[in-house]
Amino acid sequence: MSEPSIPSTPAAGSAGRRAAGRTRIGRTRSRAALALAATALLAGTVAGCTDDGPDSPDAAAAGSGVSGPLCAALPSGTDPGNPDALADQPGDVALQWIPVLTRFEAAVRAADLGAELRAPGGVTILAPTDDAFGKKFSEENLDDLMIHRKDELRELVRAHLVAGARPLADLVSDGTLRTLDGSTVPVSAAGTMARIGEQVQSVCADYRVAGGRIHIVNGVLGKLPTTYDPNADSGH
Amino acid sequence: MRIRKPTVVVLSTLLAASLGAVTAPSVALGQPSTAVPGTTAAEPNQVTGLRVTQADGYATVAWTPVPGATDYQIERTPVDASDVATGPAVVVGVWRPNRQINNESPTFADAGFDPGLRFQWRVRARIGTAEQPYSAPVTGTTLVPWGNPAVPGENLRTQWETTKAAQYTSDVNEYAYTAEIDRLSDRVRVVEIGRTVLDRPINMLVIGYPAPPATPAAVAATSPLAVNCNVHGNEPGDREACLVLARKLAFGTDAKTVDLLKHTTVLIVPTINGDGRAANTRGNSTGQDLNRDYSLIRQPETAAYVRMLRDYRPVAGYDGHEYGNSTAGDLPMLPPRHQNVAKQIFDESMDMIEGHMYVEGAKDGWWACPYGCQGGSSVGLSEETILRNTLGLKNTVNSLLELRSSGGQTRPDEGNSANNRRRKTYSALWTFSQFLDYHRANLPAIKKARGEAIEFQASNEGRLVFRGSRPIPLHPAPHPGEAGPRDDLPEPEMILDDAPCAYKLTEEQYNGARTDGPNDVGATVAQRIAAHGWKVVKGSDGYYVPLAQPERGLIPLLLDAQGAEEWVDGTRVYPTRTGRHNGPLTISGFACLEDATVNGPVTIRPGATFIATGTTISGPVSAAGATGVFLGDSTVRGPVSISGTTGAVSLVGNTISGPVSVAANNTGSDPALIAGNSVSGPLSCAANSPTPTNVGVANSVNGPKSGQCATL
Repeated sequence: MSEPSIPSTPAAGSAGRRAAGRTRIGRTRSRAALALAATALLAGTVAGCTDDGPDSPDAAAAGSGVSGPLCAALPSGTDPGNPDALADQPGDVALQWIPVLTRFEAAVRAADLGAELRAPGGVTILAPTDDAFGKKFSEENLDDLMIHRKDELRELVRAHLVAGARPLADLVSDGTLRTLDGSTVPVSAAGTMARIGEQVQSVCADYRVAGGRIHIVNGVLGKLPTTYDPNADSGH
Repeated sequence: MRIRKPTVVVLSTLLAASLGAVTAPSVALGQPSTAVPGTTAAEPNQVTGLRVTQADGYATVAWTPVPGATDYQIERTPVDASDVATGPAVVVGVWRPNRQINNESPTFADAGFDPGLRFQWRVRARIGTAEQPYSAPVTGTTLVPWGNPAVPGENLRTQWETTKAAQYTSDVNEYAYTAEIDRLSDRVRVVEIGRTVLDRPINMLVIGYPAPPATPAAVAATSPLAVNCNVHGNEPGDREACLVLARKLAFGTDAKTVDLLKHTTVLIVPTINGDGRAANTRGNSTGQDLNRDYSLIRQPETAAYVRMLRDYRPVAGYDGHEYGNSTAGDLPMLPPRHQNVAKQIFDESMDMIEGHMYVEGAKDGWWACPYGCQGGSSVGLSEETILRNTLGLKNTVNSLLELRSSGGQTRPDEGNSANNRRRKTYSALWTFSQFLDYHRANLPAIKKARGEAIEFQASNEGRLVFRGSRPIPLHPAPHPGEAGPRDDLPEPEMILDDAPCAYKLTEEQYNGARTDGPNDVGATVAQRIAAHGWKVVKGSDGYYVPLAQPERGLIPLLLDAQGAEEWVDGTRVYPTRTGRHNGPLTISGFACLEDATVNGPVTIRPGATFIATGTTISGPVSAAGATGVFLGDSTVRGPVSISGTTGAVSLVGNTISGPVSVAANNTGSDPALIAGNSVSGPLSCAANSPTPTNVGVANSVNGPKSGQCATL
């Protein structure tokens, strides 16, 4: 082969010599990254510097029905992972193409909840960004949840899942949503975005995926305590 | 004056109106990317002399300083082939005086774009907070990812590249990509150095020209350099750079690449922590942070790496990470600073960072800085479990590399977006490429430092420190960072002024079962000592690990009860003889001489173990059938003859007036070490198994070198 092909789903890896026949590994899609400290999204200015123009365009500019201030930093147009390309993908696969969701995507796999994201009635995913995870959990705590405390991790993931394929506008008009961990969370409008609970807002909403929606949010929901300490640094 | 084409102006004006964010009215057509616009400022305090140079994944923006400027803003605008703006102008960076060590020639490495796109750049000064006029613009097309798409091999791309950084390269894709490089390039051999806990292969690319040497020992003889790309599974940026670098080294035909590979061998381990990478966890599948395990080697991943170090003996290394601290410079770096690391290794590592990376960073616009350079914290200390320190304790010049995860004080905060990933990965590619250049230019200095360090360690001289660091002095201003890691001097209880001669381990300590590995099963201390490559001598009452050997700084950290994270509490064995001895000396059992003087011959009897450091012997030294012979930093006035040894032989850093004969020693899997000695007379070696080695530290022999020692 002239070039390794890129599997379009996690199950269809192009196996190399050593990987051939290693289906267990082939099934485990490698993803991810650390983006701890950062808060906000692209915006395009450095703190303390002002751009001449207005804020970067949101919403429509990024294409295909998604909207929100973060959308401009995500794959768009014909880029791999653009919203149109994800429309027929199951939710767990679509998560792998949205760069800012590596921690949540890995949590779904670690919690073994991929199938739950393909529930027949559809699922709406309120997916926290990597930055949101970084501001919620210490690295040690998150590793512990991912590796050793899978029941708690499962509840954490379910705190971000809502039954049915629900556009953001519907969630806002409902006024509350019920997550699959059994919690009831208030929802209100925040400009064109939604405020979910007290602290969390949508930042790029209405990814259509097979049988569901993905709304990217800027905070972690659920009942787990915050363990991130800005003054602690696990270091290299 | 720039030449404007009227139609372009119209188009661009329309675009400006529709986007509402275009600050550049237009860009001149046909301007080469490295062209220098007028050097005369049309307006007061306008930046002049703007030039942009394209490199892999970044563009170096440079300009002539404006007197009195506080800082500068770098603006980038996407343009089409006709240089018409296609999107908003964005301030992509701020240049501040502390970004680089010389302020006369400011540069900024603009990165975080899809390579191959075309942009316009402008720069303006700020005086205080007052923005001055922008420079005349420069446009240029950024370089597409390296490798001609029409040339087999060169056309390989990683998953990260083909998905435009939306996805990181999976394990499966890595194996396929590196296997293709292996298949298509004579320069590359992919070696599996071990397996992870979950049985994923840990591969290493061994790259040389025209082909890599055939065996680890032959590779070691080329003074190789090693890049460890991904120890923390959730810090994948360096790994992508390694994979791109491997392609360039495998297929690049430019003179520089070929020259580099003609002179050494490059060792790249893309993924030491494949399980953690796949799961996006920091630790491995057991939750162990592998970068807290390189001395202890409880885990199979770190044990594999340490065995690789023993066999391939890289003389220099880089260890890639990402850094959650969003206020740091672009590329925090740090040398091995544990105080047991030989000063020569610390100094040369500092020179690599400050003498090379800071200097080259100032040319190319990357902000290399000391780890903790902004918001310095309690990181970067002396844990010998961290590869940076482990490597230093193994006499390897090296540095930590951090890629600031996002934002920073001089770049936009982009979250974990594709552009942020590109900025990180291409900054790592710059660093690793510079590391190759540093090695090429400084190998004599590296080898000198390493040789002196090995001789120092084998002399077993000076105090031992269990935990505690050398200070990192701030680089003189203008400097690449206001702070470094904290001093971390050793606490009194972490110092042992009177170093023992050796540690003695019981049978249970040495060969007993351990529970500190995955699933409560750990390798024995014997196996771990073998992985580190230390010499051990079995005595009648236990196993002796002498300190008179190259990893003297590491041994106590793992075998002394005073260690912070030791394997076992071995028994300190102190010298049996110091001071002066007149007359012949016959050794049986165990003897350790330190700073002693023997006026007479020394005879080491069968089964005896003899260790001498800092000792002067006036007379012949002869050993026949000894268990162990260690001679370090000593002077022998007379012939030295060592034969029939059954355990270990080590002659390091001695001055010997007389012939040296090393013959018929059968030391198991551990070769006799004959390094850094000055011999007035012949050096002859015969019938030793295995063949003696000098671990790359040559002996100075005033007489013929013959037999197995002919090349030592």
